[in-house]
Amino acid sequence: MKNKLLSLLCVSTMAVSLFTGCGSGQAAGGRETADQDGGKQEPEENTGGKESQEQALVTLKTVSMFGGTDPNAEAYQTINEELMAENDYITIEDNSQTSDEDWKAAVAADFSVGNEPDVLQFFTDATADSIVATDKLVSVEEIRAEYPAYAQDTLEAALAASANTDGVSRAVPTTGYWEGLYCNKDLFDKYNIELPTDWTSLETAIRTFQENDIIPIAVSLNNVPHYWIEFLMLYTAGEEGYTSIPKTAPAEWVKALELFKTLRDMGAFPEDTDTVDDAYAGQLFRDKKAAMQLDGSWYAGQIEDMEGTVVIAFPGVPDQQADAASMIGGVSSGFYITRKAWEDPDKRDAAVKFVMAHTSQAGVQRYWEATGAVAQAATQVNPVDGATPFAESIAAYTSSASLMVAPTDARIGDAYKTLVAQIVKVSTGAMTAEEAIDLALEKYAEQYGE
Amino acid sequence: MLYKKKWPALLFVLPGLLFLLIFLYLPFLENIRNSLYNMKAVVELPGSAWKFIGLKNYRRLLWDPDLRTAIGNTLKMMALTVVFEVGFAFVLAVLVSNVKRLQQAFRTVYFFPVVISATAIGLMFKLFYNYNGGMLNQLLNAVGKEPVNWLSPARAFGMVAVPILWSYIGFYFVILLTGLSDISEDIYEAASIDGCGRGRQVFYITLPMMKPVFATCVTLAVTGALKVFDLPWVIVPNGAPQGLTHFLGTYMYQQTFGLNDYDYGSALAFMIVVMGVVAAGVVGFFTREREV
Amino acid sequence: MTEAGNGNKVCRSGILIYTVLGLWGLSTIFPFAWVLLNSFKASAEVLNSSFALPETWILDNYVTAFSRMNIGTAYRNSLIISGSVTAGVVLLSAMLAFALTRYRFAGRRLVNALLAASLMFPVFSTIIPVYRMMIRAGLLGTKLAVILPHIAGNLSFATIVMVGFMKTVPIDMEEAAYMEGAHVFQVFGRIIVPLCKASLSTVAIFSFLWSYNDLFVQKIMIRDNTKYPISNLLETISSQYGTDFGLMAASVTLIVLPVLLVYMVLQKNIIKGLTAGAIKG
Repeated sequence: MKNKLLSLLCVSTMAVSLFTGCGSGQAAGGRETADQDGGKQEPEENTGGKESQEQALVTLKTVSMFGGTDPNAEAYQTINEELMAENDYITIEDNSQTSDEDWKAAVAADFSVGNEPDVLQFFTDATADSIVATDKLVSVEEIRAEYPAYAQDTLEAALAASANTDGVSRAVPTTGYWEGLYCNKDLFDKYNIELPTDWTSLETAIRTFQENDIIPIAVSLNNVPHYWIEFLMLYTAGEEGYTSIPKTAPAEWVKALELFKTLRDMGAFPEDTDTVDDAYAGQLFRDKKAAMQLDGSWYAGQIEDMEGTVVIAFPGVPDQQADAASMIGGVSSGFYITRKAWEDPDKRDAAVKFVMAHTSQAGVQRYWEATGAVAQAATQVNPVDGATPFAESIAAYTSSASLMVAPTDARIGDAYKTLVAQIVKVSTGAMTAEEAIDLALEKYAEQYGE
Repeated sequence: MLYKKKWPALLFVLPGLLFLLIFLYLPFLENIRNSLYNMKAVVELPGSAWKFIGLKNYRRLLWDPDLRTAIGNTLKMMALTVVFEVGFAFVLAVLVSNVKRLQQAFRTVYFFPVVISATAIGLMFKLFYNYNGGMLNQLLNAVGKEPVNWLSPARAFGMVAVPILWSYIGFYFVILLTGLSDISEDIYEAASIDGCGRGRQVFYITLPMMKPVFATCVTLAVTGALKVFDLPWVIVPNGAPQGLTHFLGTYMYQQTFGLNDYDYGSALAFMIVVMGVVAAGVVGFFTREREV
Repeated sequence: MTEAGNGNKVCRSGILIYTVLGLWGLSTIFPFAWVLLNSFKASAEVLNSSFALPETWILDNYVTAFSRMNIGTAYRNSLIISGSVTAGVVLLSAMLAFALTRYRFAGRRLVNALLAASLMFPVFSTIIPVYRMMIRAGLLGTKLAVILPHIAGNLSFATIVMVGFMKTVPIDMEEAAYMEGAHVFQVFGRIIVPLCKASLSTVAIFSFLWSYNDLFVQKIMIRDNTKYPISNLLETISSQYGTDFGLMAASVTLIVLPVLLVYMVLQKNIIKGLTAGAIKG
């Protein structure tokens, strides 16, 4: 009953936020026509310290991954609306989507053909390499030469962490992320199981849940096996092996991915893990039909049961090489200004305003709270009151991490997709782990070779 | 007399012809060239020229197990469309032409799924097949049975084939029904007088007279099977589970636009045309034989 | 099998026939009815009792669908795209068929062969170069990037249907008109086109349906979710809100209903057109 109520509440707040989103969209349209009638308008204020000449209407094309069900979506929209309200000559034409492989490909395609947006919120790791190579993103240094206040709230460490693979900072980050094991603690209590701390206790938990008709691990192997790939590889290969880019499949990586089959054979995954969407898998966990789910900090916003859910460190694997409590995470995304906008005198100022609104202390605070005050913020943030057991468990997890390392796709880029596409087969034994890894490494060589 | 002067013909032909050349034939040729290069991105970016790789992609075609599944599924789909879509549509058409009432209603209703977008039908079937609370498992639950994973490796192809077949039966039904109504009643009457029963009439009169209509239907069905994309993509994206529900179209899409392997995608595209030509040749061969 | 029991047999076989026909009819209606019914329920209720009438009829799913999904815009986009495709295909195929049936010119056989062979090109086989072409022309993400390939894709089938039909139209009227001083273009516009109405409407209906229902080209050419046509939007809904069964049912209903209504109104023409065209083709 309580769950039903909670989900109802959640749905209704979502609906409300959507209404406001829609309403403001219309308002923006209306404003635009009004402006066209009235001709050019004076801006109300000019944060960039630029000359206050006649301000032309500016339509900023923006793209971010704060769309769909992303917990940041609401904060993102609110900041956009406020920005438009304060600067009524700016219209934001936003096209945000949940980030998935399709979306990344689409963004890259837009860049390759000159259809890039003015401001882009995107990854900063190897995923961005092909975009960075087009030289269409302006570096923070260059922007700061004109706007010294740009990214002033951002912590130096966070800015450094979100530099691109060539070491140049182009993006201004909002929050970082971590990946961890979400557990329905209430289910563990009900069946008298300890939260797992190593491979053996994980095995015990899986067996016990299995016997009691609870799905041990919610995951869509077809859709998003990413988290399991990462943790299994990190823990099996250790930091050094994990972060290397080998020519052919290393034994540890193979051993790591073979655990997919081990887990599958134990009955750890949902019956339909080969075909369900990731969204279904998450629903299984939140409906308490599944006990554990490996996911990122962005998932925290979807958790409704703050009492019964906890996040813990990845338990471990057999013959573990990594230290306990090793964590995958980092700062891997931020706001970029494209050269197109930077070199357009009308848009330059608006683009800078836009990024500053999102990455200032106030903006980051909002994003941080939107993700349940659990992500790593890129600026100073003010703590929120009344931490729930859920938030406490996250604080404990993140503060006790012995190591934080970025996931594999940050290093091998597109080739990672090839690996992801084979995981179901590896888990059923239709393909060996070695073949799958070799396929991906071959792709990597093809892409980056010569 | 009117058509003695030839120059207007050029004006009438040119626009359409240009469309064909620009959007079908030139791309087809470009595809062949693209498939021989290592396309790092879909358009050449400065500093990353494409390298000539010869027939590497075609060698890969030969050894690609997922492609083998995709080809197998497409061939199976061709056979199934001919047998079930055209065959069952014919049965329905014969039955409907034999009843007096409700003919119009049956026509209307049978054609429903044809006008609906495959995407919508796919979503619908997704709701039916869902393991947790999908329609089929609710039915099983109601009769006290264990839920079934409808999209398990063993069942997935069948489960995807059902909506594909189901949705287009109405199309062939209507074509065949019209073909039936074009056969003069006199022939049947004459046959009845000669003591030929209803069932035998179908074999000795209807089937032979419908040959050209069947030829049209079979050609449409076979080429249609090559074009399957929307339904499997919506129900089980990326050929899940394990690539077992890949068809040529979905596999080509995944390789090209999912994994950004544009050159391999080009090779696949070329292969699809070759298969189409061969399939049409085979169908043409058989239908022509019969007419002699 | 004696002739004696015939009356009884006819009656029994009549029942059998109606049963088979009725069952198949049911199979085509039932899924839509099920979806419609469940679009008025909350998600949880769909999961538990999808066959019962809703406990309370709620419109929440529809409200959410409209506010979250831009369904109105998607309709408009789809209509513009399919409308343009239809107009293009009808015009071009009529012109091509006219030239091919009325003139004997060098290369006529070649054009015929090109038309027939292009039926063998599924859209997959040309999409990568066409995609590159659209990129270089700066048309990616515009409706034109969907419209043009669709016209090309439907043109061959349409022309073949039209050629089949125009062949059967006697040439006398055209000659008579010519004697009275009409030129070729008047003959085409005033005599040929009206005479071919039936098959032109077939061509129109199918070009419209096929482009309206297509997902593949839309998916590749239009990546901007504010510009999505219907199929694209639907697919996005399923991957993003796939767990909300009520919302899914409502979205499917919203997209299917108008098509079904139009179909009910136009069905005579659709079916007549299809049969007039396809059989002769």
